[in-house]
Amino acid sequence: MARDIYAYRCRKCGHLHYPYRMVCANCGENEHNEFDPEALPKTGTLLAFTRLYALPGDFDVPTLGLGIVELENGIRVTGQLDIDEPAAGMKVKGSVEVVRQEEYEKYYGMIFSQA
Amino acid sequence: MRDVYVIGVGITSFTRLEFPLSEIAAYPVMMALKDAGIKEVDHLYVANMGSGRVNHQTGLASAVVDTLSLTPAGAEVVENGPASGASAVKTGFMAVASGVHDVVAVTGVERMREVNSLEATEFVATLTHPLGEYIYGVTLPSLAGMFTRLYMEKYGVTSRHLAMVAVKNQDNALLNEFAHIQQKITVEGILDSPEAMTNNPFVADPLRFFDCCPVSDGGASVILATREVAEKLGKPLVKLAGVGQATDTHCVSEREEPTDLLAVRRAAAQSFEMAGVTPADVDVAELHDAFTILEIVESEEVGFFKKGEGHLALERGETQIGGKLPINPSGGLKGRGHPVGATGVAQAYEIVLQLRGEAGKRQVDSPKVGFTCNFGGFGNNVVCLTFTREN
Ligand SMILES: [Zn+2]
Repeated sequence: MARDIYAYRCRKCGHLHYPYRMVCANCGENEHNEFDPEALPKTGTLLAFTRLYALPGDFDVPTLGLGIVELENGIRVTGQLDIDEPAAGMKVKGSVEVVRQEEYEKYYGMIFSQA
Repeated sequence: MRDVYVIGVGITSFTRLEFPLSEIAAYPVMMALKDAGIKEVDHLYVANMGSGRVNHQTGLASAVVDTLSLTPAGAEVVENGPASGASAVKTGFMAVASGVHDVVAVTGVERMREVNSLEATEFVATLTHPLGEYIYGVTLPSLAGMFTRLYMEKYGVTSRHLAMVAVKNQDNALLNEFAHIQQKITVEGILDSPEAMTNNPFVADPLRFFDCCPVSDGGASVILATREVAEKLGKPLVKLAGVGQATDTHCVSEREEPTDLLAVRRAAAQSFEMAGVTPADVDVAELHDAFTILEIVESEEVGFFKKGEGHLALERGETQIGGKLPINPSGGLKGRGHPVGATGVAQAYEIVLQLRGEAGKRQVDSPKVGFTCNFGGFGNNVVCLTFTREN
């Protein structure tokens, strides 16, 4: 089953947050749990990117592509890039995979490839 | 609110230091107390980011106050990432301005070389958003790399401009005996020469090795006091005239205009307003050039130059020591080094020396107003300070 990353919609004003916040950034709603999770879309446009050559210890690869993508609903997310020659404005599609593996824990996040 | 003055300053060499963390924190306080001509303070603030993680030492302020035999004075650590230093200066300012204390010591310290440079980068990376950034392998250089490319595309900044910042600040560092990097470089040598790809490799493209500050150990201290105390000491009066601080979204991806650094703009404006000066009044500045691009962008966001024109002022030589507005005469983070908790205090140290006319070979021509920008996270928590010379 395909995994998802969630954004959180304020029940009072409808503002969508990614990442999660406890108080609405738009209307100030601060009742606990007044946000509904909503799966993020997987396609969008690449806004910014880099290739990192000095990697954190958990990464057993020589270099790592990283980027910021504006998803089709306007939410911007950071993710890993599986793209040889990224370019600003490139259409990309994401899938949720293991992005970091520590000794006892796996972390899932968005990995983007060219659409 | 009472006026607040800097009555003493001290610093260690910024390099690899084989001393206990508490001694690296205490030594510049001893120098600053001597500089002020006093032996006691009401309170001690210690700026530090990583003692618990990097040095396996917590409760650092209690260790430092005891090492200095300043007990029973109160003491605590102020942690605000790489802006811890200026945050601690600001906290000391508030203590004196409010009337709670008359004389306080602020010291900033970091001993990052106790671990290797990848571990040091990883330690700093823990300030990124845990789920939105950190898990992906995001580090500060990677955020700076993405930001740099956007800035190049939008405003015509090139790798040569970035190299010019590195060359200028390493040249300045050669005039600063406490600076970490003591190496003359040239734009041609790090960009065009056959060795450039090996001596200046990519770290997070388009950022290269010489675009990034070194990992350093070091400490710096300032003593703050009321005007009444300062006047009795008979030194040039340097006033901490304005403090400002602002935050921005934790995830860089959420910022509406990704090439803006709004927290820098807001913190600087607050600091100038409190001091009653404008950016045009500033004679010397220390900006947070953890990455070369940041010196250019901060010089715009604080109001020295128009947005998108900082690199043009750099090209014209305006930010060199003999220029219209010298930036980072100390060498900046790039040349002096960046022990994260110490940096904001070291910036204040440099400005106080400059305003007193005691900066030796790197002295700027009779400055009256000085400014510092200490940049936490990737611009998500920024503290700016404005200093003025009186009498
Ligand atoms: Zn709301």
